[in-house]
Amino acid sequence: MNGLNRRRFLAGTMLSGFFGSSMPALGRTASLPWRNWSGGVVAHPRGRFVPDDEAHLAAFLGDSSGAIRPVGSGHSFAPLVPTEGHIVVLDHMRGLIDHDPDKLTATFAAGTTLAETGPELERIGQAMYNLPDIDRQTLAGATATATHGTGADFGCLSSYITGMRLVNARGEIIDVDAEADAELFAAARVSMGALGIITRITMQNRTPYRLLQRSWVDKVEDLLEQFDDLTAQYRHFELFPYVHSNYAIALATEETDQPTHNPPPAPDDDAAFVGLIQQLSAVPPEHRLPILDEIAAASEPSERADVSYRILANVRNVRFNEMEYSVPAEAGAECLREILRTIIEKRIDVVFPLEYRYVRGDDTWLSMSSGEETHAAISIHRAAQYDYRAYFDLIEPIFWKYGGRPHWGKIHSLGAAELSSLYPRFGDFQKLRAEMDPKGRLLNDHLRRVFGVSA
Amino acid sequence: MSARSVVVLLVAMALAACQPPESQTPAAASFDQQRMATWSRSCGLCHARGEGGAPVLGDLAAWAPRIAQGEDVLLQHTIEGLNNMPPLGYCMSCESEDLLWMIRFMVDSVQPAQGVDS
Repeated sequence: MNGLNRRRFLAGTMLSGFFGSSMPALGRTASLPWRNWSGGVVAHPRGRFVPDDEAHLAAFLGDSSGAIRPVGSGHSFAPLVPTEGHIVVLDHMRGLIDHDPDKLTATFAAGTTLAETGPELERIGQAMYNLPDIDRQTLAGATATATHGTGADFGCLSSYITGMRLVNARGEIIDVDAEADAELFAAARVSMGALGIITRITMQNRTPYRLLQRSWVDKVEDLLEQFDDLTAQYRHFELFPYVHSNYAIALATEETDQPTHNPPPAPDDDAAFVGLIQQLSAVPPEHRLPILDEIAAASEPSERADVSYRILANVRNVRFNEMEYSVPAEAGAECLREILRTIIEKRIDVVFPLEYRYVRGDDTWLSMSSGEETHAAISIHRAAQYDYRAYFDLIEPIFWKYGGRPHWGKIHSLGAAELSSLYPRFGDFQKLRAEMDPKGRLLNDHLRRVFGVSA
Repeated sequence: MSARSVVVLLVAMALAACQPPESQTPAAASFDQQRMATWSRSCGLCHARGEGGAPVLGDLAAWAPRIAQGEDVLLQHTIEGLNNMPPLGYCMSCESEDLLWMIRFMVDSVQPAQGVDS
């Protein structure tokens, strides 16, 4: 198969509470169900509230008494949003609020999407240190779930927050930073909307930069053997191991002065690749390995260069569901091997590649990389039209075996009992949450399970 | 310049014109202007440039088979999501009437004589 490269593979694979009587008439009654990006999570909120600003939101929270859940862009696969009360949508709270050219910090309204921050920051001579693979999440949603990019030198997005503002369940507006309240700051940066609704976030940035990204295909074992060296060599290095195959796509990114050459994948190539994936899906899993290996071995390397935010984030052309856990870096390769082996041995009918990368530790209480050690983040995916449960249920215990911590925005089945042994400050977060929201207005069924709160 | 380019250019100009002055809060803008702004940050993410195979604004060939399915089907697909299009088309605050307005806006981009039904 000529012309098959990493970008096409990725783009193509990603192709194949009730309110009391005092409730003011502020929220819009919801007639439509809410669904997340993959369509796998459905909610029937009582209403949608779209505040114009912080004061509007504070009045709404202060004057009402029912359940509330914030929603960003709906990119979480975990059921963080569903509520019988109101969902709060920050569509009107977007854009750059302030910036400091000396400290290279910028404050954004929390409903700003990551995609919107790139050009805004470039205009003021700043850029984010790192971005996740998808940039359509809101800044509030991405940080509330400790969403991260790739690289042993880069923590999750939340670790770059220098200050934030939230409105708590009583409608009080609180500015949060390390100086004012170090414990609240450590907790609120990754809080899943359980401490309050985040309205603005200040990020530590750097000067704008350009990136050159190279991708190639090699045997997964060879790449794993070189993984630490390649991670040290490049600014970002990650793998997308094919399933039912001995190969993986390697993606290496470094700073560059090269001019832009970043053409979008050609539609005809994408169409051809989708056809290939469909044909592959028709082959029983146990017969796919030699076919996939032949395709992989013939793949061509590729490269592209552009400003940082146009390289770090990619368009995902196919909707999917995802489970992601982080494990200590030294256990990462063995965990990945066991997952790949299990997929083959159990003949799991899945085509989506996995994703394997390092993320630096951080000082938040609940990030999946919380603590001083670097973690390996491993993701498994399944196209949204297929039932992911049997696949994910089979793989999830492998993550547990290696001490895995779940990504808060992705599918997992852990509750407070298990989570408290994974995060040293989990109990402190539980206490703080109870103090900040004693009536549990900001909880839903999923978060009650996560934080061990009875209904 | 192609007809499609003209339509896209006109839409871009309309979007620029819809930006409220700094002193004007979103609540003070007219509801249609809000819907236009909502379109640009939801549907427009894909339908402006064709990401994920989305039919591009003004592309009659791409829209014709969709239009033939009827407005009710287009609305249902938007609410539930279809293929690469996420449910609600990335508009977390939208109700049916908002989505219908934006569908009509895109349909009208290939039927310029009819204008946008507000």
